[in-house]
Amino acid sequence: MAVVPGMSELTAPFWEAARAGRLVVQECQSCRQSWHPPLPRCPHCHAAGLGWRPVSGEGTVYTYTVVRHPTHHAFADEVPYVVALVALAEGPRLVTALLGVAPDEVRVGQPVRAVFRDVAAGVALPYFEPDAGRAAAQRGSLGGLWPAR
Amino acid sequence: MIRRAAAIVGIGQTAYGKALPSSAWELALEAVLAACADAGVDVAEVDGMCRFTAPFETVTEAQLVRGLGIRELSWFTQAAHGGEALGAVVLHAAAAVSAGLASTVVVYRALSQSRGGRFGRADGRGPGGGGPDGGQPEGGQPEGDIVVPEQDNLSFAWPFGLMSPGQLFALWARRYAAVHGLSDEDLTVALGTIAVTQRRYANGNPDAMMRSRTMSLDDYRAARVISEPLRLFDLCLENDGACAFVVTTADRARALRPDPVYVLSATQTISPYREPMGIYAGGELLELFPPAAADRLFAQAGVGRADIDVAEFYDATSYMPLRSLESYGFVPDGRAWRYVTEQGTGPGSPLPVNTHGGHLSEAYLHGMNGILEAVRQLRGTAANQVPDAEVALVGAPAGSATILAR
Repeated sequence: MAVVPGMSELTAPFWEAARAGRLVVQECQSCRQSWHPPLPRCPHCHAAGLGWRPVSGEGTVYTYTVVRHPTHHAFADEVPYVVALVALAEGPRLVTALLGVAPDEVRVGQPVRAVFRDVAAGVALPYFEPDAGRAAAQRGSLGGLWPAR
Repeated sequence: MIRRAAAIVGIGQTAYGKALPSSAWELALEAVLAACADAGVDVAEVDGMCRFTAPFETVTEAQLVRGLGIRELSWFTQAAHGGEALGAVVLHAAAAVSAGLASTVVVYRALSQSRGGRFGRADGRGPGGGGPDGGQPEGGQPEGDIVVPEQDNLSFAWPFGLMSPGQLFALWARRYAAVHGLSDEDLTVALGTIAVTQRRYANGNPDAMMRSRTMSLDDYRAARVISEPLRLFDLCLENDGACAFVVTTADRARALRPDPVYVLSATQTISPYREPMGIYAGGELLELFPPAAADRLFAQAGVGRADIDVAEFYDATSYMPLRSLESYGFVPDGRAWRYVTEQGTGPGSPLPVNTHGGHLSEAYLHGMNGILEAVRQLRGTAANQVPDAEVALVGAPAGSATILAR
């Protein structure tokens, strides 16, 4: 059993892109601002003409929690799992879960990148995993053992 | 301006406990009758009601009017956003009596988590379950995938396992620790000190569910982790119970009793990405109650921070009173974690906080029991009385707050 997003006309493009392995955010065709989650109109210039813009999939951990006690039967076998808010390089944040990292090695500010996993037939979700290359560059820029790239 | 135009003249509550024999409707009736008796008003004369809070409150105004033989309500409303409405309900009631829309307003909250579903369980509520208080799904758990409707952005959170308030508030606490450079131990000591302090208050409060269960910092540390960095005792109780209070005009209040508790101010706040229980896709997560809203609350009350004698902060988790000390301007940003261990919030501290034990150790009533405690403090009848308390603040970590005075 999986917990899958219901889709509406407003939100379906986000999930359809995820199924195709792409991360997108809504973008105003007039003023080119972007945001997430999707809205009926541009909140900046109020234009109704909106599109979807691919983003790099690069982001950083804004905050996270390691869930050790499941509150829903669908996640009973998943604990411990790491829920995070990830700030995309392009600005908007999204809720996701982190893969490929031990719970005690997650840090706020950690560079991560999007990966996509099928959770049900025809449904893929955007998760994030540590971005080793950018992490090394970040350590270098902070005066660590590795030179900045 | 509502300053001193309205007053709370009656408070009522039921027993608080796990699996009480009464339904939410029965609990609501008991609390409303107690509040009216305390106010010295005939319940049949109640002409206004504020239901606390959509969509969680399952008992309707119609059930109370019918169940209590109230002749007619000329005004009724409900406040949104769960516990973040605890100042909003005071604001709505005070505004209604000040505008002459009603003369005797009852605010109520009745909760039966034993029958209606626990807030700490996501699978009795929302998608795949009942309503917010809707109980377990009939016929057991559903087969197949659970499709999360696009409602309040749940469809962008639930599929990743972000499903319960405690998980969400853990994200807040982790952000606080990271921004202000706290180690895990620093955060543990700060949150644990709040939990232990509130437990001590509860030990002195005969109405508290945790009245006879003491807790040390070692006990706190030993409890299991629920959603890091939050442990079991960082999270509020789950229980049944009900609270109600009566608001009327200041003139009528003085005729009813010698010790009305006046509303000095109350304010609401909502702005983009500060939606209660949102997914926080923008803005700074630490500024859910904006500084401008706190300044407005104090300016409208005509008092300063130093005038507040006691604070009752909404505490679904121990992080909330910690951050509220900062967001309401009592302690500079990033300093409350040291403040709570150095100055503390217990008896004799500069600002006693959650003197009834709070949601962590008295009971969980969505903020309403904090309002009732503030009234008792200002009447001078609290179990853990702050000497000569004259002004109290009741505030949520986002959404709304009120300042009350005798």
